[in-house]
Formats: sequence, structure tokens, C-alpha cells
Amino acid sequence: MKKIVFILLAVILISVGMMAGCSEQDNVVRIGTKNYTEQYLTGQMLSVIIEDKTDYETEVIEFGGTMLCFEALKSDEIELYAEFTGTAYGAILEQTEILGQNETYDYVKKAFEDKYGITWLDELGWNNTYILSVTAETADELGVSTVTELVPYADDMIMGCDNEFIGRTDGLPGLKEAYGINFKQELPMDQGLTYAALRDGKIDVNVSFSTDGRIAKFDLVNLEDDKNFFPPYYVAPIMKQDYAEANPAVVDALRLLKGKFTEEDMQHYNLMVDEGGDVRDVATQALKDKGLIE
Amino acid sequence: MIEYISGNWEQILSRAGEHVYLAFTAVGLACLVGIPVGLLINRNKRIANAVMGVANILQTVPSLAMFALLIPLVGIRDKNAIVALFLYALLPIIKNTYIGINNVEPSVIEAAKGMGMSRMQILYMVQTPLAVPVIMGGVRIATVTGIGIATIATLIGAGGLGTLIYQGIGMMNYPMMLSGAIVAALLALLIDFILELLEKKMTSRGIAIK
Repeated sequence: MKKIVFILLAVILISVGMMAGCSEQDNVVRIGTKNYTEQYLTGQMLSVIIEDKTDYETEVIEFGGTMLCFEALKSDEIELYAEFTGTAYGAILEQTEILGQNETYDYVKKAFEDKYGITWLDELGWNNTYILSVTAETADELGVSTVTELVPYADDMIMGCDNEFIGRTDGLPGLKEAYGINFKQELPMDQGLTYAALRDGKIDVNVSFSTDGRIAKFDLVNLEDDKNFFPPYYVAPIMKQDYAEANPAVVDALRLLKGKFTEEDMQHYNLMVDEGGDVRDVATQALKDKGLIE
Repeated sequence: MIEYISGNWEQILSRAGEHVYLAFTAVGLACLVGIPVGLLINRNKRIANAVMGVANILQTVPSLAMFALLIPLVGIRDKNAIVALFLYALLPIIKNTYIGINNVEPSVIEAAKGMGMSRMQILYMVQTPLAVPVIMGGVRIATVTGIGIATIATLIGAGGLGTLIYQGIGMMNYPMMLSGAIVAALLALLIDFILELLEKKMTSRGIAIK
């Protein structure tokens, strides 16, 4: 008797659990994000504008990196996410020849439409590129302001970066080849931790995201990519072409964001979040500041 | 810290809900599969060893690796997480079911045979009730471990309390990080306590240790 009760309980638990989890409504736009501050913020910005301007509801889902987001979009586990032209160009399509902002955008848009049936909507406005940073003290001491100038000192330096940079074509392997640079040690870690690690001297150089607010806050100095190794990384929402055609309201809402935000804007808002602000509140504030919502 | 929790209790609750959904579905399925398997392999020692060997190997795969290995097979998000957690829950449940059944005193089984019970009747009416404490012990271990491993599921888009921990780390937001961690631990304690009560209820009075 007790065993029957137990089995019944288990079945009920499972059914309830599965019903709770399998709620795939039609008018829900699932927005993917990568796992760092700016992506959390961008995801919420897309979510807020869609919910404000259309009847759709949204769900923001975090993934552990670029390729996971991309896989999720390809397999329709999400409807859209914000991708960088440079990331698509250098990491996904593995191209190395550096093009300008518009050429990169046109290239990835055509390639993605042809290969994956995924289209690129309008760029949101800012370029968030990888950039090498050192502390102000290091920059003064060694008198360096470009990556080439860092090369002779790099052999004694510990470098910190995110888990993707280590293997991407537009990341460490390409960087090493382009500049002939080598580090004493390479430490991949959660991207958000690299800034404090650099400030506190746990690492000597890090791979920053250029729009991170902590570069200014922690008094870090960016080294110029003088050999122009990194492609332009302009961000735009990407989604399946079929989905875009079937859901013009979503596309129109996202179009409102075209060119609205600059690097300085994003540094400002990213910092607000990194200093403890709620991501959705900051996203809402950002849209209000640009007059996009009331 | 308190301000963070009071200000964000909806989000924390929602994440806890996702977390419970992942862990419970997985452990529930593991019970549905594991307990019957544990009962059935009782007959043949060699099969029993083979089955527990497989479950053992699954146990040794590090959780992050398990999620990764499952991606080509089941994709990502909650499906992936539930399958992974299910695989981890199998060993404690199968093993404890097997041990529990096996450890029933031979004299009791003799008595049952003497009363004319068939093999199946002995299994369901004598051995299983006596094995309940041990089986429940396995379920408790599986559930608590499952709640712990589910914190990593956020990386493959399955949500849960790990999202608070992980986002907290990335934004160096200690209240957020800790609220995720502490709630996960509290959840494990709470579930363990509830399961302990359930175990006591299900153990027939005759064998309850006073």
C-alpha cells in the first residue's frame, strides 16, 4: 500500500513538474544572453522594448557563452539574441581578414542568411571590442600605449581573459600570430573577474571588453590594437528569417533601437549594473533616457 | 544582504522554482526507473554488478562534463539538465534499493515461504516494506545531491538558483551570489527534512528503530 502511495506521489510530482516546465506559449519571445554584464543588460533592453511596444511577452535566458547562444538559436530553443558582427565574423565564420564596420556587417548578414537562415537586424550603435588593458601604473612604468610596445614585456606577464578568448580565431591564437606575443601564463576565468584581478595585481594584463565601465572605474589603460587585429564588434539582434517575417511587430520594436547607443552610453550603464544596480531597472532607464519609452 | 533578498524575493522564488522543477523531475524519474531496477536485479548477482557498475561510472563523470557530453544527444536547456541529474540520481537509488532488499533477514523470508507466499508476493509484501528506510535513504541522497548539481545547469540555459550565483560572480554582486548559494543550501536542507518525515511515515511500526 505504502509503495503504491509512493509511486503515485512520484508520478504526480513528475507530471506537475513537467507541466510547469513545458509551458511553450506562442506569444513568448525567448531572448538569449551570454554570461556577462553587458549581455544581461542588452537582453533586458530587448525584452523591455518588445514588451512595451508589442503584445508579446519575453523570457530572458542565460547561456554559458557565444556558441551555446548560437546553438540555441539554430535549434529554435530561443527566438533571438544580441550578437557582435566581429564575433560572428571572426569566431563563428573564422574569417581573419579585417574589414570595416559596414563590410563586416554585410558579410555576416549574407553568410548567416545563406548558411543558417538567420538574419541580422539593425545595429544598436556601439562597438564592444576585445582590448588589452593594463593598470595605469604598468602603463607609466613601461611606457606602453600599444600592444606592439607590450610584446617585449609580455613574456613575464600573467594574462587573464574569458573562457572563449583562449580558443577563438579572433582571440588568443590569432593575437599571438599577429603580434608575435607570448605570455608567461594564460588564465581563463569568468570575464567579470578579470578587471578586479588586474586592479589587484593578481594578473598583469587582461583582455577587456571595451565598453566595460570598470576600465575607467579601476583606472585601467587600454592598449591600442595598432596592427588592427581585432575586427569591428558592432552588436545587433539576430533571429531566424522565418521568424522575422512571421513576427513583424517584434522586428519593428527592435528597429527602434537602431544606432541609439554609443560606447560611452554602454560604459555608463554597464557600470551602473556592476555597482549593484538591478539589470532590468538599468535597461528600462537606458531606454527612457533615449526617449524610446515613457 | 537582507535588502537584496527583500528587494528581489520574486526573482529568487522564481529561480528556486526552476531549480526545484529540475531536481524533482530528475529524481522522480530516477525513482520510477531506479527502484524497479533495484528490485529486479535482485535475482541475478552478475546482472546486479553490471548495472551498478554502469551507475557507478555515471557517478564519476564531473557534472560540468556531463552537461557538455549530453549536448549533442539531448540539446541544451532543461531537457539536458534533467537527463544529467537523472543519471546522477540513479546510483544512490538503485544501490540503496538493492542493498535494502538484500539485507532483509533470511529468516523472515523463510517464514514467508513457509506461509505459502510466491516469490513476487515476498518481494512486494515482505522485502520492500522492510527495505523502505534504506530505499528512502537513497532517495534523500539523490535529491540533496541533485539540488547541488543543478546549480551548474545555468550554463546550458536551464536556469535555477545557479543563475543568481553565476551572475553574482560575474558582476561581483555578493548579495546576489550569496542569496543564490544560501537558498540552494536551505532548499537542500528543507527537502531532506521533508523526506525524512516521509521516510518515518512509510516505515512500518514493527521495524521502526525506537
